[in-house]
Amino acid sequence: MAGGAPVIVDPERGAEERGAALERGVAWLAATDHKKTAAKVGVASLFFFLLSGLLALTMRAELAQPGLQFVSDHTYDELFTMHGSGMIYLFLTPAALGLGLYLVPLQVGAAEIAAPRLALFGFWLYLCGGIAMYSGFLTNNGAGSDTWTATIPLSNSSGTPGVGMDLWVIGVGLAVFGSLAIAVTILLTILRLRAPGMTMLRLPVFTWTMLATTFMVVASFPVLVVAMGLLLAERHLGGVFTGSTGSVVYQHLFWFYGHPVVYVMFFPFVGAVAESVATFSRKRFFGYRALIVSLLFFTALSMAVWGHHMFITGAVKNQYYSLTSTMLAVPAGIEYLDLIGTMVGGAIVFRAPMLFALGFITQFLIGGLTGIIVASPPLDYHVNGSYFVVAHFHYTLFAGSLFGLLAGFHYWWPKATGAMLRERLSKASFWVLVLGANLTFFPMFFLGYDGMPRRVADYEPKFGDLNLLSSIGAGVIALGILMVLVNMVISLRRRVPAGNDPWGAQTLEWWTSSPPPRDNFTSLPEITSYAPLLDRREREEEAAAGGGGRAAEVPA
Amino acid sequence: MSGGPRGGGGPLLAWACLLLALGTMLAIWSEGSDSAALFLVGAVPLLLTSAWNRARPARGGPRLLARVSVPVVVIAIGAGLAAIGFTAGLWLGLIGGEIVLFGLVWLGREVALERRAVGR
Repeated sequence: MAGGAPVIVDPERGAEERGAALERGVAWLAATDHKKTAAKVGVASLFFFLLSGLLALTMRAELAQPGLQFVSDHTYDELFTMHGSGMIYLFLTPAALGLGLYLVPLQVGAAEIAAPRLALFGFWLYLCGGIAMYSGFLTNNGAGSDTWTATIPLSNSSGTPGVGMDLWVIGVGLAVFGSLAIAVTILLTILRLRAPGMTMLRLPVFTWTMLATTFMVVASFPVLVVAMGLLLAERHLGGVFTGSTGSVVYQHLFWFYGHPVVYVMFFPFVGAVAESVATFSRKRFFGYRALIVSLLFFTALSMAVWGHHMFITGAVKNQYYSLTSTMLAVPAGIEYLDLIGTMVGGAIVFRAPMLFALGFITQFLIGGLTGIIVASPPLDYHVNGSYFVVAHFHYTLFAGSLFGLLAGFHYWWPKATGAMLRERLSKASFWVLVLGANLTFFPMFFLGYDGMPRRVADYEPKFGDLNLLSSIGAGVIALGILMVLVNMVISLRRRVPAGNDPWGAQTLEWWTSSPPPRDNFTSLPEITSYAPLLDRREREEEAAAGGGGRAAEVPA
Repeated sequence: MSGGPRGGGGPLLAWACLLLALGTMLAIWSEGSDSAALFLVGAVPLLLTSAWNRARPARGGPRLLARVSVPVVVIAIGAGLAAIGFTAGLWLGLIGGEIVLFGLVWLGREVALERRAVGR
């Protein structure tokens, strides 16, 4: 049976059945089912992604030529602040956790998430936070304009007066607290609601990446919530981050969250890529145990590198942070080896999820390798505050994480909706996005190396050509995203049924119907490894060949 | 199923210990830098969760679960409004606080109804 099968008792009995649109809407918005909560997170994060993407397009329009064309310096400050904040606090982090919220109970064979009300509460706090942040645009002084890090003293009440910045601080606090609540439910589900037979060393790779992600969230997110509380107190009362050390103390608190969150926006997508690679290589995942050990080391190390964002302050032990930052290359290398090892000797099928997974693997490598450059203090002194850093983190977060997210999206969309995406459109959008991402972000390495500072609306004419190229690339990215959206609409309106397992996948979520029923499973296969469906197929093949294998099934 | 899964806290414990080791390394290397204390902040909640998971393993079996929980939404929106009250003014903070209170009472009633329904 499924882990922790719930009894459904409904005090709002009949709300879903009465048929009234309003009641159905309320029932969906307040539903405790983890799949519906995850869908809400998905819809909200997509909305914030599109909003923050529009801000990026406006910025790139401004930067297409030297001089000021469309926006003032202050408006530009608001644009890049809200673009970065929106993408990090409101899109990638919640989307990563939302993916886990949907899939982890299915992958561990649970009927529900642990603490479903807490997950629902987390979603609504996150949504309130996002609305608060963006509502700053409606205030007199505009929205938050101190970068996504809100560094002191720029973000105190004299540096940035006005309600808009207050709303940004409160919004970030609420959104991060909401994400923390969602992560806690995922962690507890893995610890406490696994189906019989689902030992820790039989957890699917994606679930392991989610487990490691929740460790980082639980350890680091509360620090940012506290930092935002203190920043609000500083803005209204003063005397919190003062003196010569005030700014450094704030930076310590911020970056203790700020670096791990980069990995929170990364590991779930490594999991999605790993599942896609194993399925479409028609092989068992290579180096499962090595991956788990490397995940634990990678995530622990990632908690110990925040000081590399502060090399130029001279207030941190550069040697320590440089060492830990460079050491990240070791577990990262193991993970790359595992992914490549899974493909070697496999019968690779180039379906859309696999293409996006390969896009992630190759493009993230560029982000990772340039990370080694900024992990070295002497080199960081040269490129800090320049477009080189912008290029580096966009290769990790856009060309890396977003491609990983899209791999997961294309892989699990048929499971969540019961309908297939159009393969040709998916592949076309992949190539358009590859072109757009590289056209946008690769020139930034040269711009940064030659000294173009980040976070400026105007620049020297000598940087004009590369900036124009970057801006054209941003338009190509927008086209690629539009193609993905059109694909979603076509898939939902002209449904091609997916069936339970359209890919020949390996993990438990593909055992149940698409979309899964309220309690996820009506039966479960025997769980003997991290790839129970592959085990079952192998046993069936063995039985068919007369080897005496068996294919057991237990009622949920 | 007779009980919930055993174990699961091991990786949590191992990871929290790794954090403490990295924190100790920073403290020694930087001769007692205050920032090393952040590792403690990170590790303690995980150690507590691990200990709790070991002390009280999941019971397994059927669980109570409402299909829809409107009061949770009410509490979250109230908390959001109360937080925005810090900048919009005390009036919004109080309205948010009242909404949270109302939501908590409603949630209590919802949970009581659930338990009664299961008892029947």
